[in-house]
Amino acid sequence: MTLSVEMTPPPFDPELGAALQVIAEMIPPSLTADMIPAMRGGGLIPMSSNEELCRDGRLTLEERQVPGPDGAPDISLLILKPTTFAGALGCLYVAHGGGMILGDNRTGLADVLDWAEEFGLILVSVEYRLAPETPHPGPIDDCYAGLLWTAEHADELGFDPGRLIVAGASAGGGLAAALALMARDKGGPALAGQLLMCPMLDDRNDTFSARQMAGRGVWDATANETGWNALLGAARGGPDVSPYAAPARATDLANLPPAFIDVGSAETFRDEDVAYASRIWQAGGAAELHVWPGGFHGFDGFAPQAALSQEAKAARVRWLHRLLDV
Amino acid sequence: MKDLAVRLAALDADAGAALRVISYFDSLVEARAGLQSIVRGAAVLADCPARLVDRERRVHIRVSPSGQAAWLDEPPEETWLRTEVGPATLWLERAGPPGPVEAMILERAAGAARAVLDRTRGRTRTADPASVELIVDASAPPDVRLQAARHLGLTESGYAVALDNGARVLSGPLPTLPGRAGIGPTTPILDLPASWAAARVALRFAAEGTDEDPGEQVVHATELGALALLAEVHDQPALPDVKALAHAASAAPWMLTTLHTMAASISLRAAATTLRVHHSTLQDRITHAEHLLGWTVREPQGRLRLQLALALRRLQRHP
Repeated sequence: MTLSVEMTPPPFDPELGAALQVIAEMIPPSLTADMIPAMRGGGLIPMSSNEELCRDGRLTLEERQVPGPDGAPDISLLILKPTTFAGALGCLYVAHGGGMILGDNRTGLADVLDWAEEFGLILVSVEYRLAPETPHPGPIDDCYAGLLWTAEHADELGFDPGRLIVAGASAGGGLAAALALMARDKGGPALAGQLLMCPMLDDRNDTFSARQMAGRGVWDATANETGWNALLGAARGGPDVSPYAAPARATDLANLPPAFIDVGSAETFRDEDVAYASRIWQAGGAAELHVWPGGFHGFDGFAPQAALSQEAKAARVRWLHRLLDV
Repeated sequence: MKDLAVRLAALDADAGAALRVISYFDSLVEARAGLQSIVRGAAVLADCPARLVDRERRVHIRVSPSGQAAWLDEPPEETWLRTEVGPATLWLERAGPPGPVEAMILERAAGAARAVLDRTRGRTRTADPASVELIVDASAPPDVRLQAARHLGLTESGYAVALDNGARVLSGPLPTLPGRAGIGPTTPILDLPASWAAARVALRFAAEGTDEDPGEQVVHATELGALALLAEVHDQPALPDVKALAHAASAAPWMLTTLHTMAASISLRAAATTLRVHHSTLQDRITHAEHLLGWTVREPQGRLRLQLALALRRLQRHP
């Protein structure tokens, strides 16, 4: 390990670096457990109203309470359907981001709502319980219960069950990856794809990029440790972590649905996300990987107008076009 | 997650918004961001389309508030907020008067764009004669000259260019210039009057590049050396060598071009190549010229004498 190399991080993209100065005032690179209540209550993640989500009536909104995991409370699914299409093409099942400790199922839906409109997809966003109040396996079990219900109700919801895609950003990307593993291992439901945006995959938190980006950008190794500790407690980084908590722990990445993975070159998750794509290929699977140069964690959400953000968003849409063959 | 535009819009009344604008564009400049990024920054932060146009340097950029390049041929409206960036103009497509944050966006984006334009698209030809006149006028107060320099996008140093029909003050690489030009040395802004004086001397040594007036069209003052002293000689036509040159020139249309090329080439063979004549033809011509001039030009001494005569003749033509 050469310290000097680790201390030289890749440069931020010029536009993203400029935006980061403002973003850092909202969300410092390092988060610790004592900051969780303030982050949850600080208006960092604004609540989207029903009106905003329905986009002038182009989408209809429904909130359904559906059975949770065995012995656990019901979970809430936010279901948005495009009204511009007679029948839905497929379904995007979305887990929100927020490091396992923040956010709700109305968080970060702007882009997936665009896709729902563009492709005529039903959007189902799951309200999973958060850590640390609910440690593993509560959050992923909530997500899986909601996915099972969604697949079983494809007819009622009105989508082709052969076009069910799991998606998420950051912690949501990790949950979506875990859903793909669970669906494979537990005999369903069948998934058409997994769309993993800068996914949070590895509780060990010790990759080169995690060390290299410490104290920089968004969601550094300290923040990452805070999130994983909340989810896994003392088990974090130890020998007994389930791949359904941290998909990077999976020893077998064969027989998964086609994956889309993107990540910034200047973020903690760079190396674990690149490794995940590589391991899917090594296992004979299909994956598309984009590493956006100079991107920090979640750059396209924080600075959607930047040139690099537009490229990153467009790449996802192109993948959906190919995946859905439309 | 709220994006930047929303954040800044919410902070509009706040002095903090102006500080964020400053740090945003400072950061772009530091990272050497391009014009698209700068115009996009203006559009996003102001939450309205922004455009940058520099006809001379063929820059036409328009960006929507969502960050997309979106050129429109419709001309800008008179009422829009605007600022000049040298010969370029930056607009925010919104009617004035500007609020404090908008004014800051215009100022900072223009400053950032100017740096990129000068670095990547070649220096501007100054289109403001009044400012140029002030900058090269040693009798004008220094602060007035500095202000005029800033108006032309000059920050630290520059050089004066003397043309047949005017003056320019530039910095960076020399653009393509029309016709004869004398180039002054690069100096700090306040020393530009001296650069201008040297440029005017250099212009007298610049030729039209014709058979009647062969030679370089662009002459750098720093390359003249002691030759510049000849500009102080009075009544060049009366000098015997200048008269001899005029006598030779009247004998054949190729005479002056041949003598200039011969004097400016490292060998007769190179001169023949430049003139596209056979080596023996050139020998014949030079023998003829030497007869008319009255001295041999193939020896170093005679060659220097020829070079001086040619220079004096050019000074005579361009008083």
